[in-house]
Amino acid sequence: MAQTVDHASVQLDVRGVQVNLFRGGSGRPVLFLHGAGGAGAWLPFHGLLAEAGFDVLAPDHPGFGLSGEMQHIECMDDLVYHYLDLLDVLGLDGVDVVGTSLGGWLAAELAVHSPEKVRKLVLLNAVGLDIWEAPVKDLFGMNPEETVAAVFHDPAIAASLFPAEPDLDFILGLYREKVSFARLAWNPYCCNPKLESRLYRITAPTLVVWGEEDHLVPIVHGERYVEKIAGARLATIPGVAHAPFLEDAAATAALLVDFLEA
Amino acid sequence: MDVFLFHLMPYPETPENFDEYQTSWLTYPRKHFDPRKGQQLYKEYLDQLVYAEELGFDGVSVNEHHQTTYGMMPCPDVMAALIVRETKRMKIAIIGNALPLRDHPLRVAEEIAVLDCVSGGRIISGFVRGIGVEYFTFGSDPTRSRERFNEAHDLIIKAWTAEEPFEWISKNYRFRYVNVWPRCIQEPHPPIWVPGFGSPETFDWVAKHRYTFMSVYAPTALQKSWLDGVRAAANRYGYEADPSQLGALFPIHVADTDAEAHAAAEKHIHWLFNKGLKHKLEYLYPPGYMSMGGMKAAMLSGLKPFHEYSYKELVEQGFIIAGSPESVREQLLESQGTLGFGTLATLLQFGDMPNDRARASMELFAAEVMPALKAASPVAPVAA
Repeated sequence: MAQTVDHASVQLDVRGVQVNLFRGGSGRPVLFLHGAGGAGAWLPFHGLLAEAGFDVLAPDHPGFGLSGEMQHIECMDDLVYHYLDLLDVLGLDGVDVVGTSLGGWLAAELAVHSPEKVRKLVLLNAVGLDIWEAPVKDLFGMNPEETVAAVFHDPAIAASLFPAEPDLDFILGLYREKVSFARLAWNPYCCNPKLESRLYRITAPTLVVWGEEDHLVPIVHGERYVEKIAGARLATIPGVAHAPFLEDAAATAALLVDFLEA
Repeated sequence: MDVFLFHLMPYPETPENFDEYQTSWLTYPRKHFDPRKGQQLYKEYLDQLVYAEELGFDGVSVNEHHQTTYGMMPCPDVMAALIVRETKRMKIAIIGNALPLRDHPLRVAEEIAVLDCVSGGRIISGFVRGIGVEYFTFGSDPTRSRERFNEAHDLIIKAWTAEEPFEWISKNYRFRYVNVWPRCIQEPHPPIWVPGFGSPETFDWVAKHRYTFMSVYAPTALQKSWLDGVRAAANRYGYEADPSQLGALFPIHVADTDAEAHAAAEKHIHWLFNKGLKHKLEYLYPPGYMSMGGMKAAMLSGLKPFHEYSYKELVEQGFIIAGSPESVREQLLESQGTLGFGTLATLLQFGDMPNDRARASMELFAAEVMPALKAASPVAPVAA
């Protein structure tokens, strides 16, 4: 689909951490927080939100994509403060926050910490909760084929996102992001055991979106978010797995636009 | 040159469907361990290590690996304890204790101190990070591996040398009352050995502390680059590395003739590299275990996964040494001339090698190879 809204890559200095921010569109600011993968690009999904009339802010987390190294950021807690600082740098008092997977965990932590800064909250296949009977599968131990099978329902979509013959720089880039991911999520794996008991603090209207074929993060995680966040509701998207915004950007964007405009 | 008998204590029996497993580590099911078989193997292996004293080795080495058929020594200090009381003269090198995997490094300080005290000062204390897969075993954070290693080391050394109780505060460890009993016999503390696999950070750290670096399983050319890395790092710290600071480890097999040695070695090396070292790469290299520089160096090293090497390649590239006593002697002296090591660790039982063959190889090595090695004064390698 043709993208009709321009975007720019903006470089920010957030307390000494160099941040690459993709920004496009105009309207209500929407902060998109990426997961362990998917940094370093302005995605078709971002374009769809921008076209729908939003000011889309898609930063790369420190240690990911085109942003600089993590430096003092060693855990999710530190990353939350980094994003509070980033909002200050941008002069934004309140934003809609959309977080996917690892970024969903981050979005929930942000809304717990500073509920007044989050106008509306969208959690896409978010990790973050410590559910003993249905833990998130171990991405760190998966080989590339296993990872693709866990994240995507349609392997052809994954194939279109990765080079057929990755070179050294590409592989080292992936390794760098995996190291950053591990710093945030190695153990406890992909969760903050305290988060669930703090979700009551969230005041933003909340939409939880899950790909129906997500076997990496079982949907009970989505259901638990809905149960613990006042007024939250769950929407599922058929035929997609852990990354609905990649596998079915149009359906995901349509759900979000409806929710954010309501 | 100091010559050590190194052991891995493999558990060689594997099921018929072994090939269906991605790895012989971490997730390889424990149902494949028969404890009665294990009891017999422990006896044979421990007897081999104790026999090394009678054969004239300078010492033996035990090591730490977890959840694998590769080796049955998850608790190296226990293994050393089993040897201490059956020997009188030789050194016992524990290579090593995986410091970052322990939540309480002071337990290492205590265990080594007990062993050094009981043995009359015969312990060499290896410090390792543990291999990558072991960060999955213990859920330990690989991105903090090196800082935990460095902090645990500093704590242990201080615990061994301080005269008075002290409080320890570092990023990863906090102990309000450090006062390790007993004390080591060796002053100021047992020698420290550190095996490495090409991380530039390790070369620098070993050189800084003037410890002994041990290379493991690699082609001669790569081993040379590692030992050169230690020598260069020593130069940066203003001194020349002593050959005793440079160690090399080889699987070695000695038999009456080259043909017999190679025939046997090929079979048992096949087990070591294709079964014992059957790794899943994602487990072997968890994120952050290697720095970006270390990862890049590993990717550019040209090393293949171990199971992709043929026996011929392993021999030609210098991973392993096999032959008649005369040819093993020549190969080791040549290798010593190239690499400049002053400490040699010999892996004389490997893979599924049976007890009688391992002992025969040990005897031939001790009688006909070792004397020439000990007589040879270590020489620094000729600059390339």
